[in-house]
Amino acid sequence: MSTIAARPHRISYRLLSDRRAFLIALIAATGVVMSLLSPYFLHTDNLLNMTQFGAVVGLLALGQTLVILGGGGGIDISVGSTLSLCGVVMGVAVRHNVNVWVAALMTLVLGLVLGATNGVLITVVKVPALITTLGTLYLFGSGAEVIAGDTQITGFDRAGFSFLGHGVIAGIPTQVLLVLIPVYVGTAWIIGRGTYGRRVYETGNNDHALRLAGGSPSLVRFSLYCVSGLLAALGAVVTNSWLLIARANAGADFTLDSITIAVLGGTSIFGGRGRVSGTFLAVMLIVVLNSGLQLAGVAQSYQTGILGAVLIVSVLLNQLVTRRSGQRP
Amino acid sequence: MTTTDAARVRAPLPAPASSRRRLAAWPLRESVVPILLAIEVLSFSLLSKQFLTLSNIDNVILNSVDLALIAAGLTLVIVLGGIDVSTGQALGVVAWCVGRLTLAGWPPLLVIVTAAGLGALMGTVNGIIISRLQVTAIIATLGTAGIWSTVLFALWGGSDLFAPPVTTYASIQRTFGLPTVAFFVLAAFAVLWFVSRYRAYGRHVYAIGNDAEGARLSGINVVRTGIISYAIVGLLVGLAAVVFMARVGVIQASSGGSLSLAAIAAVVVGGTSITGGRGSVVGTLWGVLFIAVLQNGVVLAGVPPLWNGVLVGAFIVIAVAVDVTTDRISAARRRGR
Repeated sequence: MSTIAARPHRISYRLLSDRRAFLIALIAATGVVMSLLSPYFLHTDNLLNMTQFGAVVGLLALGQTLVILGGGGGIDISVGSTLSLCGVVMGVAVRHNVNVWVAALMTLVLGLVLGATNGVLITVVKVPALITTLGTLYLFGSGAEVIAGDTQITGFDRAGFSFLGHGVIAGIPTQVLLVLIPVYVGTAWIIGRGTYGRRVYETGNNDHALRLAGGSPSLVRFSLYCVSGLLAALGAVVTNSWLLIARANAGADFTLDSITIAVLGGTSIFGGRGRVSGTFLAVMLIVVLNSGLQLAGVAQSYQTGILGAVLIVSVLLNQLVTRRSGQRP
Repeated sequence: MTTTDAARVRAPLPAPASSRRRLAAWPLRESVVPILLAIEVLSFSLLSKQFLTLSNIDNVILNSVDLALIAAGLTLVIVLGGIDVSTGQALGVVAWCVGRLTLAGWPPLLVIVTAAGLGALMGTVNGIIISRLQVTAIIATLGTAGIWSTVLFALWGGSDLFAPPVTTYASIQRTFGLPTVAFFVLAAFAVLWFVSRYRAYGRHVYAIGNDAEGARLSGINVVRTGIISYAIVGLLVGLAAVVFMARVGVIQASSGGSLSLAAIAAVVVGGTSITGGRGSVVGTLWGVLFIAVLQNGVVLAGVPPLWNGVLVGAFIVIAVAVDVTTDRISAARRRGR
């Protein structure tokens, strides 16, 4: 095995073989190109704006990474709709004079429940993840529309709630410093060190072996969908605090984004392989790319196409690397 | 060794209906959707007087022919063990071209052939990425869905495109009091049913869906079969775009997008297994009818249209849950024997 892996010595290969080194190089290159293209790129306002967008998409991408890591065809297409529904429900609660922070807590519970719904359907009823989350994509998304009823819900600017989305501590946006980074560090710690993390990788790699060893792949997968729902709800809270409005289509674009980021970060779509740090770097890359394109005057809709191409190319890249290093694709 | 391999490959192919075991499992699974459809029709006709009128039936059929064409092709791909979530976006691109060519005065037949060819080309792109380059189908088609929607946005360029129907066959023509186009769609289903059941290509699709590695070992060209299947979906998407343009009359930046998921819903509600190897275009026809009647009946029954998505979503999950559960029951039955 090691002799096969050691064979290619070219720098390009070594860059590719550790996804994180590759991503850092890409982020640097994109950053340089963008700052040459637009003088505003390195402007503080722009950097702030960039990271505020990144906080929401980063939370969803983390949930997506975990679900895909769990293997067995795991995927959560419903993350965007979960965010929409949670955001709208929180808006309705706030409109009925519930304290904003209490409403935020309720929203997190709702996200957990929505994730658990996916989890039960997938692990207990055994409906394939793709179909379950496709169904709940419809269900949650339309649910959000029914509740919001074609209007935007406002009134979040109470009890200092907007601080979460607009505040800055030591030059870093609050939602990044107090939400995104702690969540990523915590998840990386749990997934990288603890027993639970090992279970997740075992589930993704070889669920049969885990079952024989007395573990429960279903339980692990169920918990991953719960976490994905919870993170989407957290994304909804952050979005509401950032935009100060809740819309029924707030999360519509996030499904493609989150899957692209997870795969770009080196997570194998078949599960069992991937890292939280890789996803984090992929979030950074997408955020830099998005904001650069925006400054260069490329419309949002064109970014969808570029993201689609990035998704396919990054999977091809994953395969190139696994094939070169002699691993099973 | 060779004999056991061959047996393993042959075993998963659907056995002829004469087998007793298959008869035992049959009524549960394949009759779920027709029964649900009957219940649905009955309850809607009680809820609304307009539901069972000829003009409403006409309406339901005309509104679902494009969905039916896409779903027919998609059935093959899903039986193959794949998926295509880019069909609606591809339809938008082709429909825009159809509108443009119609306005440019191209003869109808040429427009239709061009639409089918363009669709097949887009499908082939999917097929090459998935079957040749080995990118997982859901990832590949999510990617191309993004790309197609951007292509449509670029073509659309800020102004909606209005165009007349390519041919009256696709819109106002009636045969035996029903839309003529419906008979063309039925013919397409009949061809696909025949091919999937009695032609080598069709059997290969089922074999690959059951056990791709076994199919490859038994000499089936897995890559070519895959590319052909995605090309067929594309071709049908191209034809659906002609019907779509004739029905809607205008193309906007996001036209067609919602059909991607509706088509998958129709196929899985129709009993085709999402994990591949099992299902048929006949089931898909039931699935399309079920969803078309649901969307129409819900509106007539006075439910706000916003609830449509909730119901479709719920039915996707319920239908597949029922399917998976009956499957487990019949598997247990078989073991018990």
